Amino acid sequence: MDVRSAVSTPVTQYTHRRSKSYGRNFDATSRFGYTPGQLTITRIQTSRETAKARKLTEKVDPEQLALLVKKEWKLSYVTPLYKFRHTQLKIYSRHLSAFIMAEKQQGMAVEVGLEAGFKVTFSTVLGMAETKDDAETVFIQIHNKPVFASEGDAPKVVWSGWLTCINGDPEYLQALPPEFVSLPLFCSSGAESLTFMVKSWFERTFDCSFGSMGLDPTDLHWLAALWTGCHSDNNIRSLKLAWTLPSQPPLDVSLTVNAQDAWDLWDKVRQQDSTDNSISIEEVKRFITGIESHFFRHFKVYLSAGVLKKVSTALGSVHLDGKIKITCSDYMITVLTLLTECAILRTPILPGLF
Amino acid sequence: MIEASTLPGLGGAADCSNENDSSCSDLSNKSLRIAENAKKKRQAEAPLLSALKYFSQVKTGTPRNGNDELNGYLEQVEREALAQGLSPEAVSIMLEFAMSLRMTSVISARVLRFLIPASVVPQEAVVRGFSWLCMQKLSQPTQVLFLRWVLSMFDMIDSKDNLRAIYGFIFSFVIDETMCPFICHLLYLLTLKEHVKPFRVRKLLDIQGRMGKQPFLMQLLALYKVFCPEMVTLTMPSKMRAGFKNHNSTWKAALAALQKRNISKETHSMELTLGVRQHPHRRKRKFHHLEVPALTPMMESSRSNSRKGVCLQQLSSFAELLDNLNSIELPAQMGSLLSSALALHYLDCVQDESAFLRLNFWLGHALHEEFLFGPVDGSSESMAEAAHFLSMLVSTQHFLQEGFSSTEGFLYKFLTMWDGFLHRPQILELLSDIPLVPSSYIKDVLFEPLMQLYFTSSVFFKCSVIECLTSMLRKWLTWHSVCAQEEGLDISLNNRSTMSLSLSGFLDSVLKLVQFVGRLTSVGLQLERGHTLLLHHALGFYETVSDMFLKYSLPLFVMLPPGVFFPALLATDPVSIDRLGYIMFRYRQNLTSAKEQQKKQRELSLHINRSVYKEFNTYLVAMVAHLWNSKSFSPRTGIEVSEALLERTKVADYSKSFDLIHHPAFLNYAIDFHQQCWPERTDVDLNSIKAGKYWDWYVEFLFTQGFDGLRDFIKVNINQASARQSSGQPLSQPAQPSQPTAVASSSS
Repeated sequence: MDVRSAVSTPVTQYTHRRSKSYGRNFDATSRFGYTPGQLTITRIQTSRETAKARKLTEKVDPEQLALLVKKEWKLSYVTPLYKFRHTQLKIYSRHLSAFIMAEKQQGMAVEVGLEAGFKVTFSTVLGMAETKDDAETVFIQIHNKPVFASEGDAPKVVWSGWLTCINGDPEYLQALPPEFVSLPLFCSSGAESLTFMVKSWFERTFDCSFGSMGLDPTDLHWLAALWTGCHSDNNIRSLKLAWTLPSQPPLDVSLTVNAQDAWDLWDKVRQQDSTDNSISIEEVKRFITGIESHFFRHFKVYLSAGVLKKVSTALGSVHLDGKIKITCSDYMITVLTLLTECAILRTPILPGLF
Repeated sequence: MIEASTLPGLGGAADCSNENDSSCSDLSNKSLRIAENAKKKRQAEAPLLSALKYFSQVKTGTPRNGNDELNGYLEQVEREALAQGLSPEAVSIMLEFAMSLRMTSVISARVLRFLIPASVVPQEAVVRGFSWLCMQKLSQPTQVLFLRWVLSMFDMIDSKDNLRAIYGFIFSFVIDETMCPFICHLLYLLTLKEHVKPFRVRKLLDIQGRMGKQPFLMQLLALYKVFCPEMVTLTMPSKMRAGFKNHNSTWKAALAALQKRNISKETHSMELTLGVRQHPHRRKRKFHHLEVPALTPMMESSRSNSRKGVCLQQLSSFAELLDNLNSIELPAQMGSLLSSALALHYLDCVQDESAFLRLNFWLGHALHEEFLFGPVDGSSESMAEAAHFLSMLVSTQHFLQEGFSSTEGFLYKFLTMWDGFLHRPQILELLSDIPLVPSSYIKDVLFEPLMQLYFTSSVFFKCSVIECLTSMLRKWLTWHSVCAQEEGLDISLNNRSTMSLSLSGFLDSVLKLVQFVGRLTSVGLQLERGHTLLLHHALGFYETVSDMFLKYSLPLFVMLPPGVFFPALLATDPVSIDRLGYIMFRYRQNLTSAKEQQKKQRELSLHINRSVYKEFNTYLVAMVAHLWNSKSFSPRTGIEVSEALLERTKVADYSKSFDLIHHPAFLNYAIDFHQQCWPERTDVDLNSIKAGKYWDWYVEFLFTQGFDGLRDFIKVNINQASARQSSGQPLSQPAQPSQPTAVASSSS
């Protein structure tokens, strides 16, 4: 028996080598056994919770929160960051500053840590995360001190951006090895050139990839419905919608619905379902169809033939090509949950791993 | 000095052997010439020896003008150097002489210009050269000339460790504006990680401040950054010229000649230098996701611990890779490993799962952005770039003999929206690399989208799909057979439940694939009216399928469908029938050996469905009836056509029309044979071939035409002895082929 076990040891080691399959890492026994269906699973939500007003200011530093609202953010998705550590933000600040300086002065070498025109600060927005799987939000600001500024002048914020993950799909997040931090949603505001530099620094440092994140008309439908649903607690003033119709030349239609009217319609649509806390995609569809058929009755134009491009209320606005503005932090979590979902949906999912 | 004298002699001997290579035609001449050369050498050696002796001993301040002795020796050494190159000792002596400035700089410069080493430059000579340089006595042009010489001969310096030891001294010359470019180049060649120090970085930055963005400073700083990215942050301007200038103009011709002479002496080591796959100056696109990132080391802070490893871009050969295999650090971006062949070798050894995940995220992102999310950019450049990227991916996966899971995930999505035309060759290649797909969802992710494309595309697309699936099946089977060998996953040995479970999973998937291709080929052949090319691709697939048990030790037997069998049997080209014969032969071999194994090991559940034997026998009967017995369309042959219908074809003797003589595929062979047998006969009566030994001869004749598959089939399935017995009637003899029935009976 001893001989047998001595022989079998190297065999198992060898097996281990063979089982390496570039991400589809199964040992021979489980290789065929991984759960089917996950590959084709449609991770698109068909129902979500209603937007509940949440005083985020109680959880999150109001000063930090103020930086996130009332600004229009350009959305991107990011693949998981490799070896990103929330404890090393100071070092990252220094490195990104130096990187930007070097990029700005193409070709001139720059010493790290030198007082430079650009100053980057990384910070954690504590309390934004919703579940234990969500990584804490990271906020980045770039300040620039103009060349001819006087001594007392404070550096101006020229760019800001943040990486976040709110209510991310737990199955996906838990499947990631611990070296990875998933902050799939990246919002940026500021000069394109700086955004590009920040992205390339992240790509080089954390071996991740960025892609711009356009939204789906359905996402806009969801947000229109979710925001309208808040009207009873928080006045949305009006629901503004903008479509583009594929006529020659393209026809832009913008429609402003009185807040109360919108809410009444939503309430009618909702009444058919008794469950209070969740909204189904059918309700959202009925709501949008209601608005569209109302428009048809007056103008004889089928809005459903076009594409909903923009939705805005007093709580925030969203554009199809991936721009969002959140005006009221109370409903922020709902919106960010939806956007995190969109971002994870864009991330390349590896069959067999997730 | 004695050594110095012997070495050139050795060099000469080697030389003359080279000459022999080119003129070895005459052996008697050869020995003569060797003797003559050796004699010449001995004569030449003596004056060279005394010349070297002179240069090693000559005192400072010896007059130059009118010094005939000096001129004579100089010419002597120069001639020798340019013709043969100088031995290491001679190089040392002459370099010492030149650098010590014992005569004027003019003489020193002249010596440096002809200082061509035959083999190597001793490192000590160069170190001494630098110590003379430190004396600051040399004129500026001579200093530069010396540095240029060192740079030109750098690869011939025997070792560099002592030169690296005086790195600091060499570095101190960067402040000299004329020498700076050359010093930077030399430092670039010498720098190791431990040489990169903050004060040196500061110095270089300082010089850059004064001199501006000089390419040589940039290059050196870039190298420093490679070693210590945390010490210097630097971005290359997009249009920077790569590399340093060549300074070897003075010695170029002589060195080239020397290299030519030495070329046969050197054993060529296969070098896998970095960057072989890099595309030269590609146009920058708005979206850069298809660019393979550059190899850069990880940032200091994100390294796991203080363990210092070797970064991949420091390695330039496979041997170096092997030496450092255990201390190589993964690069900052895993995608960069796809940039070079050497890095791919390393990738094959990487065990780190996170590393593959990083690579897959990057690759998946690139593929998704380019082909799924991105706006369609139909410009020819971007098409070419995408095709190049995919081809790179194909060759990478072939190299690794494995598909990336991100490619797999991408393909499943892409297949549903593919038009079957965009980058077809690459997409199908990638598709064939997909590792085994579990049978539970193989239909949804693979079969459904492929089927839609297959039935709506041209016959050529159909052929390439079948080819792709054949290749996929082969890869799966190969994977299985390798696995079975390595893990003892052998049907006869293994009875652990997990393994047999995985084996059944594997069998399920393979069965699904074979059945799927069966449907595709049957219906495809019908749609394309038995297109010959498609038929051949189908037969190619079944050549693999028929051999699964013997060749890949997979206990799975699936017969080819009638939709492929009969078109092949009734095809108008003999190659199809020949291939069919081979396939049937292999099926028989596989079934028989499975049966034997089954008998040997009773306890084994090597289950072969009885219907497989039944199908096989039906086909066998059909084939023999058609080709051998002239009983086409008779009952029990698989195709039964009502007699009324056959009468209406007005073919007189329809039952004979598909035997080996009358079969449209063999008709011209039969006529050929007929002419050879009866050259004088003007009326062709093919039926006379059937008579007696002519039939045997005819069959032999067919075998000589290269129908090996047919031969194998006939040899195994038809009892030739009985054929000879009833010699007059080959039609009737093997009415019931004995062996196939044996197979059938023993199965029951």
